[in-house]
Amino acid sequence: MANWSLKWFQTMKVYWSNLFVYRTNFFLQTIGPLFVFLFIKLSLWTSIYLSSQKSIIGGYTLEEMLAYHLWIMVASMIILTSSSQNLSEDIRLGKISSYLIYPFSFWEFHASNFAARQTVQVFIALLTVFILLILLPTYFSNISFLFFIQGLILSLMAGFFWFSLNYIIGLMAFWLEETWTLTVLTQVVTYFCSGAIIPLELYPLWLKEALFYTPFPYLGFVPVRTFMGESLLFWQSVLVLLGWILLINLISKLIWKKGIHLYTAAGM
Amino acid sequence: MIKAQGLRKDFKIYRKQPGFVGSLKSLFYRSYETKNAVKPFDVEIERGQMVGLLGPNGAGKTTLMKMFTGIIVPSAGNLLVMGHTPFKRERIFQKRIALVMGQKSQLWWDLPAMDSFQLLRRYYEIEENQFKIRVAELSHLLEVEDILKVHVRKLSLGERMKVELMSCLLHQPEMIFLDEPTIGLDLIAQKNIRDFLIYYHQQNHATIILTSHYMADIEALCSRLILLIGGKKRFDDSIKKFDGILGHNKMVSFSFTNPVSQSVPFISPFNPKWNPKRTKVELSIPEEKLRELSQKILRELPVSDFNTEKMPIERVMKSLLENPHLLKD
Repeated sequence: MANWSLKWFQTMKVYWSNLFVYRTNFFLQTIGPLFVFLFIKLSLWTSIYLSSQKSIIGGYTLEEMLAYHLWIMVASMIILTSSSQNLSEDIRLGKISSYLIYPFSFWEFHASNFAARQTVQVFIALLTVFILLILLPTYFSNISFLFFIQGLILSLMAGFFWFSLNYIIGLMAFWLEETWTLTVLTQVVTYFCSGAIIPLELYPLWLKEALFYTPFPYLGFVPVRTFMGESLLFWQSVLVLLGWILLINLISKLIWKKGIHLYTAAGM
Repeated sequence: MIKAQGLRKDFKIYRKQPGFVGSLKSLFYRSYETKNAVKPFDVEIERGQMVGLLGPNGAGKTTLMKMFTGIIVPSAGNLLVMGHTPFKRERIFQKRIALVMGQKSQLWWDLPAMDSFQLLRRYYEIEENQFKIRVAELSHLLEVEDILKVHVRKLSLGERMKVELMSCLLHQPEMIFLDEPTIGLDLIAQKNIRDFLIYYHQQNHATIILTSHYMADIEALCSRLILLIGGKKRFDDSIKKFDGILGHNKMVSFSFTNPVSQSVPFISPFNPKWNPKRTKVELSIPEEKLRELSQKILRELPVSDFNTEKMPIERVMKSLLENPHLLKD
């Protein structure tokens, strides 16, 4: 194996062993909220359908709507796995000094942690799909292997985009004393604009179309519709996501260059 | 090895007034202040030297270390460390240096030290065989063979520091920066670390730059001393010369079994400092008169004990900090 991949793999191993130490924390923090969120959305949409007496809303039957939100949960397990908080704390408390000394960069460290987290999350997502297939087969009547793989690929790419976005927010700690508000703001905007709460078909057409000029639909709506078997031009989506990923990483490089000049290595 | 010319670092400090009102005000208006942490600084350090950076808190020692290691970017000036510009952080440069921070752990808290070492082995691309030899050698020298598999958070401070030191030496750095490596350690642990560093330096001829608040560290380890006060270099020469700044007098103190109430004319030229009970006196005696005068005191006064000062540089340091004008600019 090449030297760089050995560095990455060893870092991932450390992440996994740390995960094992904090396993309860991990489940409460990353998996727990997803289930709570799902439960709220399922009951909400069920009562909306029952009270409105319509059988189709925005093109979705109740069954399809619930399936949509089940898939959103699965996709979120792979996409929305990164948070900028560790990162900005590393900067604020001067912990990145070590990574300025080691021949392994701060980005490499966080990216390999992301990769490690992602493998765990994909495993959990697969397990969840498997359990859902057994418990609620009616919601997954049109699942196909090809669409599942396509959805998985889009989710993984979107996950990397989300990581890169959070990396930038984390880097804001070079300038801001607290990046917490930025994180929450981004999350809320993403929940609404990615279709994690309401499928994008329910938005006015102009808004839906406008959103497709942003990366947000790719963080939920697009992968989920792909999972559900609606062909949304898979290859085109791959290309668009790739473009966003390149762009955001370019920006993050520039921000890092600017920010590192301000770094004071507090506490060392 | 290190060559700095006009090296400078300014920090912009944002002053926030205390309390909620202060926070509100800072929304609209922020006052910044520029602090010159390191003022134009020139230095040249040769390969294999062991140099002590000394100075009070906030003198700029650590800022200097951060610039040498490439953690922060200098505001102005030229700096070359082993021919590299540190803040470019070239991999080849990073593999040749090490930084040990006494106040901050670089090891992974929730892992045994050995796991961190494995990670560092990958980062520094150390050959498996080389690594095994190195771990065996260093852990034997530092007497930490038994604790390498214990979680770092369960180690005592002294043990942790040893392991920390070990982690920084695995890749055989040519230049080692030690920032307060003995801080918070008990006397024995301090001595262990010092002895190890002396041995290591003899064996490997690495260049070592050290900051410490403990004069004993500097005295035991360094042949050259650089004193920083207020971001400026105020002294840069051998420890011997430093000792001599206040003259070559020896400080000797005598304790007496009974208070010495009468005046003792033959000691008055030696700047006697009596304690209030007059049972102890401290004298500053020129080296050439030490023998003669001590004998006389022992003979004529009821001496119960006497001490010569253990660490002259501690006194020199104290006097210099209190009276910086003693140093030429």
